[in-house]
Amino acid sequence: MNAPILSATGLVRRFGERVAVDGFQLEVKRGEAVGLLGPNGAGKTTTISMLAGLMKPDAGVVRIDGVSFEGEGDPRKQWVGLVPQELALYGEISAMENLRFFGALQGLTGSKLATRCGEVLEIVGLSSRAGDRVKTFSGGMKRRLNLAAALVHDPELLLLDEPTVGVDPQSRNAIFDNIESLRRAGKTLIYTTHYMEEVERLCDRVVIMDHGRVIADDSLAGLRQRASSAGRLTLELSAAAATDARWLDAVRSLDGILGAELTGSTLVLEAREVHSGAARALDCLAAHGVRVTGLASHQARLEDVFLQLTGRSLRDG
Amino acid sequence: MNRLTQLRALIRLDLRLFLSDRRALIMLFVVPIGIASFMGSLFGGSGTKNGKSGAAGGGGGMDLVLVDEDDSAVSRGVVQSFASDANFHVQVTNSTVAKDWVMTGKRPVAVLLPKGFGADVLPGLFDSKRTPELTVWHDPGRSMERAMVEGILVPKVIQSVVANAVNPELGREQIRKGLARLDARAAAGTNASGDKLLRELMTRADDFLASRPAGSLLQSSGTNSGPASLPLPFKTQSVPLTKSRGGEYNGYAHSFAGMGIQFVLMSLLDMSIGLLRDREAGMFRRLRSAPLTRATWMLGKVGSFTLISLGSLVGCFAFAMAVFGVRIEGSIAGFVGCLICVSLMAACLALAIAAVGGTPAGTRGAGIAVLLLLVMIGGAWVPTFVFPRWLQSVSLMTPTRWGVDGLDAMTWRGLGFDAALAPIGALLGFSVLLAGIAWLRFRWDDE
Repeated sequence: MNAPILSATGLVRRFGERVAVDGFQLEVKRGEAVGLLGPNGAGKTTTISMLAGLMKPDAGVVRIDGVSFEGEGDPRKQWVGLVPQELALYGEISAMENLRFFGALQGLTGSKLATRCGEVLEIVGLSSRAGDRVKTFSGGMKRRLNLAAALVHDPELLLLDEPTVGVDPQSRNAIFDNIESLRRAGKTLIYTTHYMEEVERLCDRVVIMDHGRVIADDSLAGLRQRASSAGRLTLELSAAAATDARWLDAVRSLDGILGAELTGSTLVLEAREVHSGAARALDCLAAHGVRVTGLASHQARLEDVFLQLTGRSLRDG
Repeated sequence: MNRLTQLRALIRLDLRLFLSDRRALIMLFVVPIGIASFMGSLFGGSGTKNGKSGAAGGGGGMDLVLVDEDDSAVSRGVVQSFASDANFHVQVTNSTVAKDWVMTGKRPVAVLLPKGFGADVLPGLFDSKRTPELTVWHDPGRSMERAMVEGILVPKVIQSVVANAVNPELGREQIRKGLARLDARAAAGTNASGDKLLRELMTRADDFLASRPAGSLLQSSGTNSGPASLPLPFKTQSVPLTKSRGGEYNGYAHSFAGMGIQFVLMSLLDMSIGLLRDREAGMFRRLRSAPLTRATWMLGKVGSFTLISLGSLVGCFAFAMAVFGVRIEGSIAGFVGCLICVSLMAACLALAIAAVGGTPAGTRGAGIAVLLLLVMIGGAWVPTFVFPRWLQSVSLMTPTRWGVDGLDAMTWRGLGFDAALAPIGALLGFSVLLAGIAWLRFRWDDE
């Protein structure tokens, strides 16, 4: 039961000179929900492609239930359901026809195929629209059908590559509900996103990637513990200081200060460790003759952990 | 994994997508039928029945305007000769109207028979100063029709001139004048020794001419119509060399083959561009996440494309048979074999173009250029026999030429299955070559 359903060892993938994924390691146990976090260009989609058997790694190996993929027609692919970032659906045919096609590609036939198509439409709440052309669906409905198409063959492991991109809040919640029900059903999930709140809601373990590398792999609780010391300081400054901000570069270059933004007379600092960071910043400001009229610190969030680890925000390009 | 299940799913999906696309259906069924019908009517229609077919059009003959300002027996003979010729649709009018029709492109050619033409044409043979002049007005864009009229004008004028020159009435007039001279010599007592014999000869000749109805000294040129004229010293017999029972060229058979192939290629190009768009849209990531091999996917595409083009060609020919009387005069098996191989070749060609084009935009531009070249050189628009010899040789290197020739051979040429073997073999060869290019060049993954 505790044997990993998926293991990736030393995955490397290059595109020309650029190394997109560099020594990626991961083990996922059955029933686990792992969030794969990283900013755009971190290598998440390339990693998912290798995990799904779409792309051959330049080095390293992916094993599903202990066996590595062998070729594009490997039946082991049936263990995996991929929800691609793109809406990979045929708009000119109905939702049911789409599912029947993708199910047939997975080897389902006859009554089993029909039953599974009905079930997954039920799961994503589209049973009443089964016969409608997909091009008539809203963006949120298409996203749900995109999810259904990955579920039709009832895979053990679900790879969700940013499945809520461009979705309105209501449809997003509906997709979350679907995913939570899959979790309850014991499915194993790997969920890539750059929305921290999605990971907090859906996953019990987080892998953070940046520049193709895993820079953190921990439970939510463990990451929160790391985050407790990190935080944000908000300092109110005298009006004179705000008009002559030559000191700002000095503050930004302080050890332990990850970022500093001046808006009007308000200075917001991101500090790796809030107490030492505050002390250094106040000393620096005093040395430059900047008068501080107010000071507030904020509770650290997972977003701050990411910033602490990578030096940039999750939504940076 | 059952590859057959996957293959069936891939083919069914494409057929379903195709049938749900109204624009594609129109492009593949309605447009080729419309254009082929038009082209067929331009290139001879459905045969040479009643002698009405010709280079100029299907049924009515070539439009020709005649202006007879002379109104002599000779000029009337020329007009009547053209009017009784099934290759021409003659209208007689005045010079103002004739010039206006030609100038505005309503008619291609007009011929003016000027006043004095009939009187001057025979003396003109012996006196170049009296040679009358015929004027041929023509549309500058219709030089082929002008050449045809100028060519046929000569024998028609000569026939009319000679027919009138040897008119029996004129002969009897000369005899009467001769007998009168003999009578005068006898009255004057100056008759010669041979006058008796000459009188007898002339009297018998006059009796002979008198026994002939007016204008019937010469044979009639037509069956029942037209004036008496000088018969040509030879006859021609046109024998269409086909094995078909009717022995007739059917322009529709050719144009439906050509246009059918052209629009199949165009539609399949559009579908192959759709594949590239699918790839850009990420569909291939989903397809490849299934245990689906590239070979199965490509086989599915070749299968569905072949079926779609086969359906289109069958639809086109069914229409041509029902409406224009096109018939499979040759081998039915050969016809079916050619249809299947043309469809297979078209499917492989579309995939190869998409594979080489790489992107939707690149494929559209290059694809249209390649297809237009292939259908033009391959004889899909006009039969290759009108091409220069070197181009006819070049066209053998195009799959479209083999496709059109094969279908022509099995329809209006009425040839047997053995005549289909070369086109079938060539088309299969092209299919293998194009499928190989598609296999080597098509980017299946997104790396």
